[in-house]
Amino acid sequence: MNSKEKLHPILIEMKKDLKNGAVSRREFLRYASLLGASAATVSTLGGITFPESSVAATVKRGGVLKVSQQIQKIDHPARYTWIMPSNAMRQVLEYMTFTDENNITRPYLCESWSASDDLKTWTFNVRKNVTFNNGDTLTADDCIFTIGQWLDKEVKSSLLGLVGSYLDPAGIEKTGEYQFKLHLKRPEIAVPEHFFMYMAQVVNHRTFDGDIKKAPHGTGPFTLDTYKEGEICILKARKDYWQKGNDGKPLPYIDEIRFIDMGGDLAPQIAALKAGDIDLIDSSDNVGPRIMKAVKNDDHIEVISVTTATTRVLRMRVDIKPWDDNRVRMALKLCQNREKILALAYQGEGTEGEDVHVYPNHPEYCDIPVPKYQPEKAKQLLKEAGYPEGIDVNLAVASEWSDVVRYAEVLKQDAAPAGFRINIQTMPSSQYWEKWTEVDLGITPWTHRPLGTMVLNLAYTSDDDGKPVPWNETRWVDEEFNELLAKASGIYDVKERRKVFCELEKIMQERGPIGIAYWMNLWLCPNKKIKNLLAHPNKYLFLKDIFLDG
Amino acid sequence: MGKFIVRRLGFLVITMILVSIVVFAITESSPGNVARNILGAFVTPEQEASFLAQMGMDKPVWKRYLYWLAGSDTQASRKAGMDLVRIRTEKGFVEWWARDDAGTLRRWKLSGDDLVAIVRQQDGSVSTVNDNGRWRKNSGGSYYFWGVDNGNRAVKWEKGTDKTVWTFSLGKGWAESSGGAVEYLPLKKGFIRGDPGVSMLTGRPVADSIFVRLRNSLVLAGIAFTIVMPMALLLGIIAGLREGSLQDRVLSVGGMVFSVIPEFATGIFLILIFSVWLKIVPGATVFGELAPWQRLDMLILPVLTLTLVELGYVLRITRASMVEVMRSAYIRTAYLKGLSYKRVIFKHAVRNALMAPITVIMLHVNWLMGGIVIVEVVFGYPGLGKYLLDSAMNKDINALETGAMILVIVAVGTQLIADIIYTFLNPRIRYT
Repeated sequence: MNSKEKLHPILIEMKKDLKNGAVSRREFLRYASLLGASAATVSTLGGITFPESSVAATVKRGGVLKVSQQIQKIDHPARYTWIMPSNAMRQVLEYMTFTDENNITRPYLCESWSASDDLKTWTFNVRKNVTFNNGDTLTADDCIFTIGQWLDKEVKSSLLGLVGSYLDPAGIEKTGEYQFKLHLKRPEIAVPEHFFMYMAQVVNHRTFDGDIKKAPHGTGPFTLDTYKEGEICILKARKDYWQKGNDGKPLPYIDEIRFIDMGGDLAPQIAALKAGDIDLIDSSDNVGPRIMKAVKNDDHIEVISVTTATTRVLRMRVDIKPWDDNRVRMALKLCQNREKILALAYQGEGTEGEDVHVYPNHPEYCDIPVPKYQPEKAKQLLKEAGYPEGIDVNLAVASEWSDVVRYAEVLKQDAAPAGFRINIQTMPSSQYWEKWTEVDLGITPWTHRPLGTMVLNLAYTSDDDGKPVPWNETRWVDEEFNELLAKASGIYDVKERRKVFCELEKIMQERGPIGIAYWMNLWLCPNKKIKNLLAHPNKYLFLKDIFLDG
Repeated sequence: MGKFIVRRLGFLVITMILVSIVVFAITESSPGNVARNILGAFVTPEQEASFLAQMGMDKPVWKRYLYWLAGSDTQASRKAGMDLVRIRTEKGFVEWWARDDAGTLRRWKLSGDDLVAIVRQQDGSVSTVNDNGRWRKNSGGSYYFWGVDNGNRAVKWEKGTDKTVWTFSLGKGWAESSGGAVEYLPLKKGFIRGDPGVSMLTGRPVADSIFVRLRNSLVLAGIAFTIVMPMALLLGIIAGLREGSLQDRVLSVGGMVFSVIPEFATGIFLILIFSVWLKIVPGATVFGELAPWQRLDMLILPVLTLTLVELGYVLRITRASMVEVMRSAYIRTAYLKGLSYKRVIFKHAVRNALMAPITVIMLHVNWLMGGIVIVEVVFGYPGLGKYLLDSAMNKDINALETGAMILVIVAVGTQLIADIIYTFLNPRIRYT
């Protein structure tokens, strides 16, 4: 162990837990890395090593990778609203941290960081000898400038709501050419994870002027050659990238990446993938097993599966009748025949949910039983709530998400015995998204997030004035839940944190505003000639160390 | 004839104005929130409001229509008190700049309470200078300035107002300023001056992308047209010559079979057979930069689909028309007076029988240009139809209007061509 490295007290506690089995190896790694311990320290401390991706001993250099992707409008990275443009620019611009496929956050452009014991002061050390593709050297100024952009109200970044809730512009302090400190308004553990949100790409503070296309100066392995919205985006490898490959020369291995816009429809993209005219489909904003089902028997195409916290949320507006009555909500939740829903809606490619927006791979997940399908009990509850004759309800779903529609159909059928007469209202997804926070009963897709606290804070709490936060689509504000969640967000000890989560999950299951019937698996389906491709639960693409063979 | 063409052109202009108003009105009255369509569902309310303001969507509809039609730069230039010019940079970006009295090009940005001018040199490099002398005083004691920002918009900046915002600027760090941008006017020259504006969906000038789409559609439609039309006319004439014969039956039934199968079904069957099963041609179009002639084999299946769908239709029209002509009295007379078979057919029958198919064919040019959305979607072909569909779905008004205008020109133009062809087919038709 590096004797100079000061260990966070939580880590020392956790080490004991690791020994007696109270903490899993994966959780230990996750927390150790979050709190800024280096890989060497972790391995000495926990007797375990960071999982390193195994790369074939011999790599091949050269070649062009072709990816189908909708080439969208970009200007300010902090303003990305879709993942797709971040996936193209992710190869040009980089992040301060890196959350890997196991929800472990590791150093990246910031080579290390540490948090004070009260978790309100964070010190970040910027990696030295990293250069932008225009020759400028990366310094703390670039990181400070980038964070400043998120917090700038004029920029209108969605990170303002996330990072701005605990960090004021005045709380950023430059403490050296390669070091900066953040003084938070309240304790927050997920700072390094937030630095890896897809809109958190680090820009060059000397040249960036609001439109990244005009000065595409990033630290990433590729440079932007062409960006034609709606048509094509071409990236070329740079020669002086800071990371080295297995052969001792700088990454990347491939020479060029072409993102080609084939429109939003999947059929032609699948046909082109099968024919080998493209190597990969960027389906980051499009979940579902359709691509996987279409190519799984194809010899040229590999199917990599990831379990994720991506889900469909049956959400009820608790400020509108009849959903203001918990008995009615409970009754509908009891009408979910989860096994059947998962099988029919998503062909069994996922895990059953428990009406709680925390999934088993979240570090703080507390084991909670899957509720059974109980139409009789539901009928009883409805009667108690004053609907002995049953009740007519409208369920809003978007027609493009076929699994959502099937979920709704199964629910309609299985809720009938309990007295729910569900009228399914289908609409185009664009229309659904326009009123997703407004409809009284609907099914909303939610994407993967690496921490349970992140989702719960986004969608099931209120702001300082007690009003529901913007994405609180159900308007559910529960004081006890709020307090527990605030408490949980400041606890580092996983055991302690999980104890609070057990309570949180229980409250959510018993009086919460949502039903979650299944968590979805996602797939990455590349051509087999792409080697060393990482499947990330957020469908982020990492192309710096892939190579083409065959 | 000259008068006729002039009248037709007048008619074209009127049609275009009417269509553009109707398209604007429909887009305006249809439900849908353009910011959410484009930015996705997870935009914050602030992002949404800012998007709409920066796109100029907060202006009344008649104003936006006028800006689209005739441009917004004159009004903006009056507000700023300077000439506004549009340039294209070496890298191909379209940029708007203000020309000050000294003739140099300037844009502005706020840095705290300071107005900073970005001055463009002849060689394209820029330098920044403080330009606080340009603030003008409001009646309420605050200051305002109308200028151009780096997003090709005329912007009204204010300072000294009650509103305070924190902005970050280079070299100074965070600074509190009392105001900021309060009104945006996106700059464009207007459709009639050759600038249809910027697509809200892609942020690119519509003119840049729509001509690529138009070219792609022209290539696909052109190839399909040159294959289908001569073939359909020829086969239709052959079928119509001998009504009830075996060749007539085969051609009629065959044509009917293909024209009643919807084009998406035909397209998918063709993909399954030729691309997935036999693996002889690609099943989707993947364009590089030089499309569509880079990979001509990718055009085979879309063209084949269009051919099958179109062929039967035009063939049956031609056949029906031919049958009718062959039954008419003057053909019998021609035979009776001893003209050769060839002469009867080519000199008398065909010319008259072609009138109906020509009308249909010309109407179909329009359909081939903008209406083959389904074929384009099935094959991932980046054509004009799909562009229009995407624009309509996203209420991308600048793109939609421009596409509609192109289709009006094609429709009226092809009708004009049809009218001229009529005069050759039937000398009795005269236009004056």
